[in-house]
Amino acid sequence: MSSVVSEEKSRNNLVVSYLTIGGIVILAMMVFGVLMLLAQGGVLEFTPAAFYQFLTIHGTGMVGAAAFAAAGVMWYFLSKYVELSKKIMKINLVLFLVALVMVIIGVFSFEYASAWTFLYPLPAISANAWGVTGALLYLFGMLILGVGFLLLHLDMGRAIIKKYGSLAKGLGWDVISGKKAEKDAPSSTVVASTMVTIVNVTAITAGAIVLIMNIINVINPSFTFDPLLAKNLTFAFGHIFANSIIYMAVIAVYEILSKYTNRPWKANKPFLIAWTMSTAFTLVIYTHHMLMDPVMPKWMLIMGQILSYANGLPVLVITAYGALMIVYKSGIKWDMGSGLIYLSMFGWVVGVVPAIVDATIVVNHVMHNTKWVPGHFHMYMALGACAMIFGFMYYLAKQDSSIKTNKIDKLAFIGYTIGILGISGSFLVSGALSTPRRWATHFPEWMAPANVGAVAGVLAVLSLLVFVIHFVRYLNKRNKVDYKQDDKKLA
Amino acid sequence: MVQIVASITSLFFMLVVTAVFAFVAMKSREKRDYEPIKKKWYKARTFYGTTLVILFLVVTIYTLRELPYDQPVYGEENLPIIVDVEAIQFGWNMSETEFSVGEPIEFHVTSSDVTHGFGIYDEDKNLIAQTQAMPEYTNEVYITFEEPGTYEILCLEYCGLAHHLMIQKIEVK
Ligand code: HEM
Ligand SMILES: [Cu+2]
Ligand SMILES: [Cu+2]
Repeated sequence: MSSVVSEEKSRNNLVVSYLTIGGIVILAMMVFGVLMLLAQGGVLEFTPAAFYQFLTIHGTGMVGAAAFAAAGVMWYFLSKYVELSKKIMKINLVLFLVALVMVIIGVFSFEYASAWTFLYPLPAISANAWGVTGALLYLFGMLILGVGFLLLHLDMGRAIIKKYGSLAKGLGWDVISGKKAEKDAPSSTVVASTMVTIVNVTAITAGAIVLIMNIINVINPSFTFDPLLAKNLTFAFGHIFANSIIYMAVIAVYEILSKYTNRPWKANKPFLIAWTMSTAFTLVIYTHHMLMDPVMPKWMLIMGQILSYANGLPVLVITAYGALMIVYKSGIKWDMGSGLIYLSMFGWVVGVVPAIVDATIVVNHVMHNTKWVPGHFHMYMALGACAMIFGFMYYLAKQDSSIKTNKIDKLAFIGYTIGILGISGSFLVSGALSTPRRWATHFPEWMAPANVGAVAGVLAVLSLLVFVIHFVRYLNKRNKVDYKQDDKKLA
Repeated sequence: MVQIVASITSLFFMLVVTAVFAFVAMKSREKRDYEPIKKKWYKARTFYGTTLVILFLVVTIYTLRELPYDQPVYGEENLPIIVDVEAIQFGWNMSETEFSVGEPIEFHVTSSDVTHGFGIYDEDKNLIAQTQAMPEYTNEVYITFEEPGTYEILCLEYCGLAHHLMIQKIEVK
């Protein structure tokens, strides 16, 4: 019995480490976000080099840390259904930290600033802004990060196949085809994890290929590659990997809302079909990043629009609808955990709207690479995926210790909501005014929304600080309890 | 113009989403049996899902009728002016920068180093057309200026530390 408890404890230790690191990195990266907005708003002045380094570290750090924390969430729940390797989870943690250090050194000591999309051949052709060392530190760092995630996903895939027979069965295809009864369908957690395994192994493979192309080109610029192919690989990687974050974190929504409402959230046929659709669409809709590349085959771009619309359906009709249905007249007791989780579904759905609008080719023609784009993905990432992660952190703290939340936490909840809505809203306004994204400075007529965003950003930073402090307080409590129990055991 | 339609459409649906989430949150503290709720909501979902699919289909068909990729059909007397554009860190080489109102123009856009973005802005700083400027490839933008004035080309793809300084004025008479 005690070995079961300590086994669970050490599993939770790992998850807790993932969340702590993720939370702190996200908090730190937000500060760079605020700094960028202040520069764009004309309040602060620093060099373009500094701005683009901030942009690079913010984009890379946010996507990396959110994916890392979300992987912790997924791992926590998935390990209740299948047997996952703790060792691989640890290796991924170490590789993540190594990658983080390499990226930080590359960016800040060697002034590497390609943005997180490292679009070939920019890493090698920087107009003397950075050198080979910075580029290699960054690119190898990303490669190492990818290897860690790849191992993690392969382990998940292995565990799912071992328990359920195949990845197809993990997605519940035998239930969809009628071979198996709905009541024997894999749980929503398993379905989501299978989906993430499939798409992220693909994403990381594409990413690794294009990273290696860039590395070769940086070391020896006479080796060149097809820039259009490189672009396809880059966006296949970037789109899928960034999107997988929410598909990992949404597991917390399924598990936590059904627990809080005492209502089952079973994987029925429509649910399974929706997840299969999400799997397929997530793999192919990256072409909506290439709508302004008319050299691409036209049918691919048209499919890019159509499938991007279609990709909205599973979340709008199944996942979000399911969340609303399970909460409606459920008598749910709201607390920080459930509140953030509910907020996250709102963030996801509300962010889908401007995303779908921008995936329309005629709209994209005048909104692509304007701040409209960060506008929609800050909703989706910061109010969607991140709120899932933070909600899970509150949930875990409550499950695992006697810690209480207080008024300040509640205020932080409101602050976070308003803060992120303010940032995203100001981005959307900027985008509607045609303000380009990734510009170190803005023309005066574009400055006001940036400053509004900066103020909202400060609110978001302070609120997240409260979330993180709460989590750290929980960690302290947890460690103390540990010692006491161990003492007793010894005695 | 497109931006306004896009913004209003987005705002409208975002408000709808907000209203729905707020409504459900308000009704969350009441406690009712799940089974009847499920039954009712599943029925509503069929309607909602179908409506959504139809809406998407209609919008898709409507918005795909005319695409910026399609080369216009030019009359004999109205052949387009071809402008070669080459982006280079950090400026624009253009074979021509002065145009007249009403004449059809084709910008043939490429790059000699990294990927840039060729964005055409009108006098009010509204983005009116764009394409990617890529090494080894040539993308085309078809445009006919309808208003005279000083337009600007801004770089719309991050290309290095002077990305935001890649600005080129063009005159339309
Ligand atoms: C206080 C909160 C935040 C602020 C103030 C902020 C601010 C910014 C700013 C100013 C940019 C650059 C916009 C431009 O292109 O001009 C940006 C880009 C970005 N942000 Fe945030 N952000 C915040 C939170 C987040 C969060 C939570 C995430 C994800 C988990 C995130 C992910 C990204 C990504 C991926 C980019 C794109 C970077 C690039 O264009 O290369 N941000 N953010
Ligand atoms: Cu450029
Ligand atoms: Cu540029």
